Amino acid sequence: MARVELEKVFKRYGSFETVHGIDLAIKDNEFVVLVGPSGCGKSTILRMIAGLEEISDGTMRIGDRVVNDIDPKSRNVAMVFQNYALYPHKNVFDNMGFSLKMAGLSRNEIKEKVEQAAKVLELTPYLDRKPAALSGGQRQRVAMGRAIVRDPDVFLFDEPLSNLDAQLRTQMRMELKKLHIKMKTTTIYVTHDQVEAMTLADRIVVIKDGTIHQVGTPIEVFEKPKTVFVAKFIGNPPTNIMAGQVAEQGGAKGILCENGMFLPFPHETALEIGRKVLAGIRPDAIAAEEAVNKFSPAWQYDVQVLFSEIVGGQSLLEFDINGTSMVAELDGRHKVDPGTTLKLGFDLDRLFVFDPETNLALDW
Amino acid sequence: MRTVSKDRILAGVTLLPSILLVGIFVYGFIGNTFWTSLTDWGGVGALSENPEKNYVGFYNYKDLFVGFLSSGFRQDLVNAIFYSVFLLIGAIGVGLFIAILLDNKPKAEGFFRTVFLYPMSLSFIVTGTIWRWLLAPSGGVNVLPTYVGAEPFNFRWLSSTQSILQFDWQNILSFAFNVISIVLIVIGLWLLGKRSKHAAKWLVAGIVIGILVYLFGDMLPKALIMEEKHGFNLATTGIILATIWQYSGYTMALYLAGFTGISQDLRDAAMLDGASTFNYYRHIAIPLIQPITISAIIILSHISLKMFDLIFAMTGPDNGQTGHPALNMYLTTFRANDFARGAAIAMLLFFLAALFIIPYLISSYRNKDERA
Repeated sequence: MARVELEKVFKRYGSFETVHGIDLAIKDNEFVVLVGPSGCGKSTILRMIAGLEEISDGTMRIGDRVVNDIDPKSRNVAMVFQNYALYPHKNVFDNMGFSLKMAGLSRNEIKEKVEQAAKVLELTPYLDRKPAALSGGQRQRVAMGRAIVRDPDVFLFDEPLSNLDAQLRTQMRMELKKLHIKMKTTTIYVTHDQVEAMTLADRIVVIKDGTIHQVGTPIEVFEKPKTVFVAKFIGNPPTNIMAGQVAEQGGAKGILCENGMFLPFPHETALEIGRKVLAGIRPDAIAAEEAVNKFSPAWQYDVQVLFSEIVGGQSLLEFDINGTSMVAELDGRHKVDPGTTLKLGFDLDRLFVFDPETNLALDW
Repeated sequence: MRTVSKDRILAGVTLLPSILLVGIFVYGFIGNTFWTSLTDWGGVGALSENPEKNYVGFYNYKDLFVGFLSSGFRQDLVNAIFYSVFLLIGAIGVGLFIAILLDNKPKAEGFFRTVFLYPMSLSFIVTGTIWRWLLAPSGGVNVLPTYVGAEPFNFRWLSSTQSILQFDWQNILSFAFNVISIVLIVIGLWLLGKRSKHAAKWLVAGIVIGILVYLFGDMLPKALIMEEKHGFNLATTGIILATIWQYSGYTMALYLAGFTGISQDLRDAAMLDGASTFNYYRHIAIPLIQPITISAIIILSHISLKMFDLIFAMTGPDNGQTGHPALNMYLTTFRANDFARGAAIAMLLFFLAALFIIPYLISSYRNKDERA
């Protein structure tokens, strides 16, 4: 178990820079999820922590050691790969015991540790099987077993659940979380799936184009996104963003959007009149029917429904408001015909305000 | 139903020409050669319009192994075995080594790959001529040490008359049983290492045969009426070197293709598991591409059994020290006109090659069935 610290870490391939000087401190026992779109550099960062990629510049520490020039095998980190990377010619026992064999442990010690890990992961009946004779979920478990037998300082997961079907993914996600609670090993987990990020992480690190946009707990990242990208990337459907400027209407200060919609600020703010801003409102901050009445009339808007769909116990509603289309995520089942006019309530306590130049959240 | 049978007829008609051609020109001729080997076709009048051919059973085969005058063939056979063994070890060892070097992506990897593969494209006659010059007693390789001020080598690569690792053909039977016993024990030990439950069977069989030969070996019939020593003729070293030079590029290409096919993730996983580069190849990469090693063994062993032109070019057809059954077959058949005996040698070579290839085919078909 150990802290992991990255200080101004860069990765360059020739003149092409993919990771632009990131700073990140991961605490002991923490479960940190690196999340971002494909090609954002999150896997590169993970591979640099593992030692599989060299660091072009900066400092990396695991525990108290600077590991910039330390071999992967001496870092005492274990990694689970997206395609599991099991050795196809070795059976489950040998796959899990290979690192112990390389470490020079005796046959009996290897047997003991592998059997113990197999028990935790319910793999005992499969120890003699080759990976080809296992299902996807079992292979995934073997890959995890291979990581835990070594009792590493840090676990690294590179999109480990993306090859599983939806049901199995949910199940394995819960098992992973339970395993972390039991083992308490520092874990760094890479995914592009924000649901995995939200459910697993103690803290989420949102990455785009090789820079960190935000580090925070899942709730912080969801409710207080620091950039427009975070607001759009975290949460599904993404945050509705509208351009506008700060204005006063009927004695209240608020954002007058380009489509004419006025969003009054829920509290006092120093933002000066006329300042250009981007307003963001999460789909789940919009309510319909009786729930609308919770909000003051100034927070209620008439909209025209474009499309609606029921997702289990919730509904997604795409609607048009003065020519801008937005999405609402409503509790309960609402099947509304396209073209219907509907009154919706916006929870402006959860309004996001961003600077349109820098795309950063404003302090208001 | 109707369309299926129509399909079958079409398939049959399409295949018929090749079945006929292969049937006649491959299997028919093998059969004819086998039949010839059972006759006494040869000697005076062998080339007459209607040569006399009498059925003599397996006399030709028997004579090759225990005949008083066939010691030349027996040495050729021994040469061929040593030649195969050293070629396999050499070409696979060197090829694997170069492949590992190139797999670690040195600069100009593509250039080196071409350089090492290039000898494959040469004809054996060209290779043979070049290496004959390089291995000449007072030139080429032997004068290399003089460039650093040392004495020249005086090893006679192609014309040495020395022979090492000799054994007496008279005791070929007990020798063969000893070899079988050792092979069984080695397989048994290997299985033991893999914790297979069949290990005991192999070990017991090997040990029993070994003990029996040790106790009663003297009672086995002698192959010959007198002592006849055969061994590894040092004059074949040059030929082995030249063949290794020509084929290690080929095994390199096979291995390199295999290594390249291994996912980078597996290598990364092995590195994180604490494997050194050596251990990665020993425990992961080489076992993973075992099918390639098997293919290389099959291909090289039958190349070595058919070796003809390289030896012809390097030491000529009549060099007793560097003879090979394939050369012997040619000389016996077309120079001595002893067609039956030549056919017998041909059949022996055919069986030797089959010895390597049939187990390979059986195992690959079995794997295919398992996969299906």
